[in-house]
Amino acid sequence: MGVPFETLLPYGVILVMFGITGGALGGLQHMQNGGKRGRHNTDMWDRVRVPIGFLEWRGLMLTSLQQMMDRDRRLTGYLRGQSDRVEAAPGYELNSAWRCEKRFL
Amino acid sequence: MTAREPRFNHHVLVDTTPLPDHIPKVKELGVSSAPLMSASFFIGARCKPYNDDYMKCKTEANGRGELDCMREGRKVTRCAASVLSDVNKHCLAQFRAHWQCLENNNQQMYQCRFYERPLNKCVFDNLGLEKVIPGTPEGTVPVHLREKQIFQRKFT
Repeated sequence: MGVPFETLLPYGVILVMFGITGGALGGLQHMQNGGKRGRHNTDMWDRVRVPIGFLEWRGLMLTSLQQMMDRDRRLTGYLRGQSDRVEAAPGYELNSAWRCEKRFL
Repeated sequence: MTAREPRFNHHVLVDTTPLPDHIPKVKELGVSSAPLMSASFFIGARCKPYNDDYMKCKTEANGRGELDCMREGRKVTRCAASVLSDVNKHCLAQFRAHWQCLENNNQQMYQCRFYERPLNKCVFDNLGLEKVIPGTPEGTVPVHLREKQIFQRKFT
């Protein structure tokens, strides 16, 4: 006596929903990394924690990033952007951020 | 002033005041992290005296190195820029292939030996800079010259 197919419908729903979630998260990660594989295992080569408000102002929503990656963002405009031009664009030498306390601003 | 720990995570100050005129200007490097990683050993091969000079100056400046060693720092920047412009001029295709591979593989050199060998050869032929890994033990083959490699992501 076989199992009626209605029994398996919830499992189908579960599978489809996992698929949608995974696809959406993978697509989001792909988008955030600019189509490249993600960085992982990044060391303490100055883990700079930039306040979230600053990142929102720059149009990014990540909470912690590395100094070199932050430098890439200052150079190219994207956290994962890369460029091999020898001289920086004008204005780069002045857009470094000083982290300071509220009372000094 | 007080024993209170400073908390530097509150605000970000971007100061756009340019350098005063009595400080000579040098253009900052525009290469980002992966190309710098790719060219690092060639920069080291040509610029080691300048880099050592700068580090020695900073060590001896007792915490005022950022101000007192700007002359040495400018030399470091100019030397690295000369290496990078030479690499860009002679070996741009190999350089791009290598740093794009690095960028796609978490900037791990061992994943990209396939693209590194032509770059090393081109740079050695055209610029005369050879990649030497400092601190390699005597009598062993340096890691970038080994024929066989076990741990590497399959790609081409």
